[in-house]
Amino acid sequence: MSEQNMSVALDRDHRGMTLEGEEIAMEVKDWNLYYGSKQALQNINMQLPKNRVTAFIGPSGCGKSTLLRCFNRMNDLISIVRVDGEMTLYGEDMYAKQMDVAALRRRVGMVFQKPNPFPKSIYENVCYGLRLQGLNDKAVLDETVEWALKGAGLWEEVKDRLDENALGMSGGQQQRLCIARAIAIKPEVLLLDEPTSALDPISTLAIEELIFELKKEFTILIVTHNMQQAARVSDYTAFMYMGDLIEYTDTDSLFTNPQFKRTEDYISGRYG
Amino acid sequence: MEKKEFGTHISEMLNQNLEALFNHILAMGGMVERQMDNALQALGTSDVAKAKEIILFDKMINDAEMEIDRLCARVLARQQPTASDLRLILVAIRVAIDLERMGDEVVKLAKMVIAFDQINQVKCSDVEGYIELVDISNRSNQMLKGTLDAFARVSTDGASQIVAEEESIDRVFSNIMDQLKRSMQSQPDCFECLMEMIIALRAAERVSDHARNIVESIVYLVNGQDVRNMDEDRLQALLTKLQAEEG
Repeated sequence: MSEQNMSVALDRDHRGMTLEGEEIAMEVKDWNLYYGSKQALQNINMQLPKNRVTAFIGPSGCGKSTLLRCFNRMNDLISIVRVDGEMTLYGEDMYAKQMDVAALRRRVGMVFQKPNPFPKSIYENVCYGLRLQGLNDKAVLDETVEWALKGAGLWEEVKDRLDENALGMSGGQQQRLCIARAIAIKPEVLLLDEPTSALDPISTLAIEELIFELKKEFTILIVTHNMQQAARVSDYTAFMYMGDLIEYTDTDSLFTNPQFKRTEDYISGRYG
Repeated sequence: MEKKEFGTHISEMLNQNLEALFNHILAMGGMVERQMDNALQALGTSDVAKAKEIILFDKMINDAEMEIDRLCARVLARQQPTASDLRLILVAIRVAIDLERMGDEVVKLAKMVIAFDQINQVKCSDVEGYIELVDISNRSNQMLKGTLDAFARVSTDGASQIVAEEESIDRVFSNIMDQLKRSMQSQPDCFECLMEMIIALRAAERVSDHARNIVESIVYLVNGQDVRNMDEDRLQALLTKLQAEEG
């Protein structure tokens, strides 16, 4: 058996790994995903700890974004996708037939790669989700908008121009606004799909610092192409390759002493 | 540059880690200082029990070095420090090595106390070279305190005096070595004691060498210049200039 194959085989022995001393928010068991006949995720098993940042890294096409989208059933929108296995949120089967998907997505919010504010005011962007839920009490909306913008580290910059169109903000501000919009409905889990890939380095650092703060209130899962970003922001890191979860451990260990050659080769830039 | 600048990053985690690094280095330095103070006491009173304590405590210093290494590896791997932050990490690794080796040199002083006790209970203070040993040890310890103070302030203020002191200690060491070599030839009965004293003197002098290394590391931290192989005159001129700039 080649060394690379061996590392994968060894990893398979790690399935069902439990995270000592952590409260588990989400759990994935024997998870498979197919695009038509092509299998994109292979037998993924992992636990995702509450109030921690878990990063997913790996080369393009490894399945990290596909897996992330499973956590709020975004893949339901793709007709050829088929999944099997079990995925739970605090023990509740997220793929149960009776599961209200809209309600699930309120509990598991998502921020995308490119900032996508609505062409509305800053204020209306943040309270959009709340209005969808039928909340129109001005005092409650004001309070929540302020809370969410503070949480997203944006309040001081925009508090005097909440009525201005969000499209006039910088890219970094727009992305923080999208984070504010996502947290305004107080989800339990926040999914971030390459949230800084369209931003300059300083805006990126601001978002990373924000992620560090947000984990106090939310469980955060982040997909990033940028390994250094995963190293900076996450508590746990999962390395994926060709649909397999190769290594999943605390970020210190993964970046200083990975257990598998394939992980080492990837994080040290020996292949991409 | 000022130490507080290391706490002004956008990343609070980086701020915390660099602060922890400063604290770890200073705590380790404090441990070596205490070891040196205890060694001087043990030498003065030929206190074998204290000497044994010093040998045992050295493990704590070794552990402190490993902890600093771990922290540096973590910051390098996770926060990718650059510029002065990167220099701080490199300097922290170097300084930790110097402090750990200082600890080893102090253990040699403690071992001399024990060795003299075993050689017919000779008192350290009765052996030729003792006065120079205490002098070099005291001055090396003062140098260590000065370097730790400079590191804590991220300042080269006082570096010039420390470098000059190290050269002065070298001269004292060289003179006493010549004297002891002659004594070994003229007093073959005292060979064993004199040999122990030479080892101890060498250890005390090495402490001053390591203190100077730390000063050189601090210069690198402050202005990015590697002065390890710089001749004395150029180094003193640079230190004077840096001191004036820090004003």
